[in-house]
Amino acid sequence: MSTALLEDTKLGPKAGGLYRHQNFGVALVVGIIGAFIGWIVSHALLQGSNWGTDMVVTVTLLSWAISFLIAMGAFNAPFRWMLGHDQDHEDELYAAGVGQGWKRYFKFCTDHKVVGTQYFVLVMILFFVGGTLAMMIRTQLLTPHSGFLSPQTYNAIVTVHGMVMIISTIVMVSGPFANFILPIMIGAKDMAFPRLNALSFWTLVAAVPPILSSFVLGGTDSGWTTYAPLSVQSPPAQDGFSITIVIFVISVTVAGINTITTTFTMRAQGMSMFRLPIFVWGAIISSAVGLYAMPAFLMAHTALITDRVVGTSFYVPQQGGAGWLYENIFWIMGHPEVYVILLPAVGAILEVTATFSRKPLFGYKIMIGGLVGVAVLSIMVWAHHMFTTGWAPSLADPFMLTTELISIPTGIIFLCMIGTLWRGSIWTRLPMYFVYLFLWNFIVGGVTGIYLSDVPADQYFHGNMFVTAHFHYTLLGGAMIAATGGVCYWFPKMTGRMLNERIGKTAFWLIAIGIQVTYYGQFLEGFQGMPRRVANYAPIFTFGNQSSTMGAYTLMLGWLILLAAIIHSWRKGEIAPANPWHAKSLEWQVPTPVPLENFLVDPIVTSDPYTYGEPDAPATQDAPARVHAGSTQEGGH
Amino acid sequence: MSSENEFHEEKREEIAEQVSPWFKGGPIWKRPAFKVGIIWLLMTIVGVAIGLFVPDHILPRIMSPQGKDARDTIVFFTVLAAPVAALVCSVGAYSLLAWRKKANGDQPPVDGPPLRGNPLASSLWVGGSVVLVVILLIWGMGFLASETAPQSNLLQVNVTGQQWLWTFSYPGTGPGKGVESNKLILPEGRQVQFNITGLDVTHGFWPVEFGQQVDANPGFTTRFVVKTEKLGNFDVRCSQLCGLFHAYMYAHGKVVTTSDFTTWLQDNGATAAKATAYAASGN
Repeated sequence: MSTALLEDTKLGPKAGGLYRHQNFGVALVVGIIGAFIGWIVSHALLQGSNWGTDMVVTVTLLSWAISFLIAMGAFNAPFRWMLGHDQDHEDELYAAGVGQGWKRYFKFCTDHKVVGTQYFVLVMILFFVGGTLAMMIRTQLLTPHSGFLSPQTYNAIVTVHGMVMIISTIVMVSGPFANFILPIMIGAKDMAFPRLNALSFWTLVAAVPPILSSFVLGGTDSGWTTYAPLSVQSPPAQDGFSITIVIFVISVTVAGINTITTTFTMRAQGMSMFRLPIFVWGAIISSAVGLYAMPAFLMAHTALITDRVVGTSFYVPQQGGAGWLYENIFWIMGHPEVYVILLPAVGAILEVTATFSRKPLFGYKIMIGGLVGVAVLSIMVWAHHMFTTGWAPSLADPFMLTTELISIPTGIIFLCMIGTLWRGSIWTRLPMYFVYLFLWNFIVGGVTGIYLSDVPADQYFHGNMFVTAHFHYTLLGGAMIAATGGVCYWFPKMTGRMLNERIGKTAFWLIAIGIQVTYYGQFLEGFQGMPRRVANYAPIFTFGNQSSTMGAYTLMLGWLILLAAIIHSWRKGEIAPANPWHAKSLEWQVPTPVPLENFLVDPIVTSDPYTYGEPDAPATQDAPARVHAGSTQEGGH
Repeated sequence: MSSENEFHEEKREEIAEQVSPWFKGGPIWKRPAFKVGIIWLLMTIVGVAIGLFVPDHILPRIMSPQGKDARDTIVFFTVLAAPVAALVCSVGAYSLLAWRKKANGDQPPVDGPPLRGNPLASSLWVGGSVVLVVILLIWGMGFLASETAPQSNLLQVNVTGQQWLWTFSYPGTGPGKGVESNKLILPEGRQVQFNITGLDVTHGFWPVEFGQQVDANPGFTTRFVVKTEKLGNFDVRCSQLCGLFHAYMYAHGKVVTTSDFTTWLQDNGATAAKATAYAASGN
C-alpha cells in the first residue's frame, strides 16, 4: 500500500494545542470545582428564600455539567474560531486520537470508532448500575412486608432504576453501533459531524452524576414517569433527575442529527438508499423519531424544574395548572421513545438473522415500510397510557385504533425474520442464539401489549405488575436481547478479538431462562391484582414475587457472566479475522482493527449487502483481494 | 451495466429452477410446509388452551359485569393471538430442527436459497394482521360503547384519595357529605357510580374485583359505573405511585345485602329514613 496509515503520522509537539492537556481526569476535577463554585455562589445569594434548596441544587448541577464539558475540550474549536484561529490539519489529527494509544478513550476524541467504543463501555456501566438497583428492588420484594429497604429508599431506587435503564436502552444501539459500525456500513470515513459526535458522548457522561445525586438529596419518590403534582412536591433529588433529562435530551438530539446527516450525505458511491443495510434504516428512523419525541421530554422537565425552582405552576392544580398537562407532554415523548429504543435494535438483530441464515433479508423493502409505519404511528398513540386517568374519555376509541394499528407494521418484523430463517443454512453461533430469544420474547411482549391496547382489559391491568412485565418483555426481552445479539455479532470488529462463545452460551441460557421466570412471575402478580411500584404486598402475591426474584437473580448472574466474557475476551480473546462471519456488508470488508478513516481505498457499491446464495457480480471477480461481494474498491487514495 | 444486470437475471433464474419446489412433489408428510403446519397446529392448541383455562385460575374473583368484560377480553385476545404466535414459533423451531447446519462452528458449506421476498406470503401476512386488528377494534369498541352508555338512577358514592388513605362518602345519608367511612361498603345488585377526586397528588382508584379503575386527580372529578353482582369482600388499591406510603394505600371493601347495608348506614349515623331512601337508588 503506497499510502501510509494515518495512525502512523508523526505529529508536531504542539499539535492539538489545549487538547493536549484535556482528558477525563482533568475534566472531572474541574467539573467538581465548578459545581462547588456554583454551590457557594447560589447558596450565598439565595439564603433564606423560599425556593432556596431547589435553586441551589439546580445551579450546582448545571455548573458541574458546563464546567465538565468545557474542561473536556467540548468547546475548544468554537472558542478558537471566535478568537480568529482555525484548527489546522495536525490539530484535527490530534483530536482524532492519532498517537495517543489507549489515552484517546479518555479524551474528547473525534474518531467515530473511539466514540462508539466509549459509548459501549458507558452503556455497560449504566446497565450494571441499573441492574444492581433492580436486584435491590427484587430483594425487597422477596417477602411480603420485607424490611430490607425503607419505603423512601425503595421509591428512590425504583425511580433511578427506571431512568438509568431508559437512558441506557436509548443509547445502547444508537451509541455504540450507530457510531462505530454505521459509517463503515455506508462507506463513510467518519460521521458527518465528528466534534458533535464526541460532544454527544461527553454530554451523556455529564448527565450521569446528577441522577445518581438523587440518592443523597432525599430520593425521588415518583417513579421514572415523575407524574406531577407529586414530582413538584418531591425532595430536591427531583431537580437532579430533571437536570439529567435536560442534558440527556441534548445529547440524544445531537447524536440523532449526526446519524441522519451522515446517512444522507456521506454514503459511498453506489450506496443508494435501498442498498443500505437494514440496520442503517433502523438507526436513522429511530433518530428521526427521537428528534420528534425528545424535545417534549425537555419541555416536560424544564417546566417541572421551573415549577419547583421559581414557582411557576404549570402542573399544580391548586394554582391553575394540571397534572394531565404533564402526563400528556410526557407520553408524547414516552411512547415514541420506546420505538427509539426498539427500531435500531431490530435493525441490528435483522443483520444477524440474515448473516447467520446465509440468506438475503426477506422482504427488505416491506421491512423498511414497516419501520416507517411504526415511526409514523408511534407519534399518534401516546394517550393509551392515559386510558384510566379520566382525561378525554371521548378519545379512547381513536387511540385504541392507532395503538392496534401499530401492531401491523410491528408484525412485519416477524414476517421479515421468519421469512429470512425459512430454509436458511442456519449457522448457530452465539449471535444467532439471541435471534431466537428475541423472537420468543418479542412475541410474548407483543401479545401482552394487545391486552393493554384494549380499554376494557387496560382498565384492569393499568398500573399493575402486568404492565411492568409487558414492557420488560419488549424492552429487555426484545430490544436489549436484540442489542446483545448485535454486541456478539460486532464484537470482533469493534475489539479485534473473538467473544468467547463457551462462556457466552452459558450466559445466554441463564439470561434466557431468567427472563422467562422473572416476568412470568410478574404476569401472575398482575393477573392477581398487584399494583406496580409497591414496597410491600399482600401475602397472596408471594408466589409470583418469589419466583420473579429467583428469576431476576438468575438473569443478573447471566448478565454478569456475559460481562465477564466480554472483559475476558477483550483482553485475552482469540485475535479476530477481518470477517469472521463471512458477512457481506462493508464493515466486514475493512481490516481489523479498522484504520483511521476506515477505507484505504474508497469503496464502490454495486448491490445491497444481502447477496447470500447469489453469484457475485462479474465486476467483483476482477477486483483486488480485500473486496467482497456487495462492494468493489477502485482508484487510489 | 446492462450486461451485468442480465447476468444477474440469468443467474437468479437458474437458481430459482434449481431450488426444489417446496409445496409440490414427494409424499405430503415429507414436505417441510406440512411439518411446520403440524408444529403450528400443536402450538396453536396449546395457546388456545392456555387462553381458555389459565386466566380463570389466576384472576381474582370477579364481582361485576365490567370485570367480566376484562376477563372475556383477555381470553378472546389470547385465543386470537395463539395462531399468530404459533406461526412465528413453529417456523423458528423448525428452522432449528431441520435447517441447522452443524459444521463445528465453521461457516455452513452452502448458503441458503436467495429468496428475497414472496409477494403472496407478505400480502397474506399483512392482510391477516389487518383482519385481526379490525376484529380487536370492533371487540374493544363494543365494550366501550356499553360501558359509557349514559345511565340514570345510580347509587352515588364519592371517593376521595389523599396521601395515603381512601375516604368514601355516601351523599344524602347525613349532614354535609353524608356518612363517611374508610371502608367501601356497597349494597348488592346495584348500579354504583363512583365520583372520584384527589386531595393532594394523583392516586389511582382501583377496586380490583370490579375490573375497573380511574385516577383520582386533584381538582377534577372522574367517574365510572360498576354493577355489584356478587356478595363478598373486595380490595381497593391505589394504582398510581403517590409517594412514600403508596404501597400501604389500600382499603377493604364489602358487598352486602340491602338490609345489611341499611343497618350499616344507620350504625354510622344515618337516619332510618335517609338510609332506606339511599339504599333504594341504583336498582
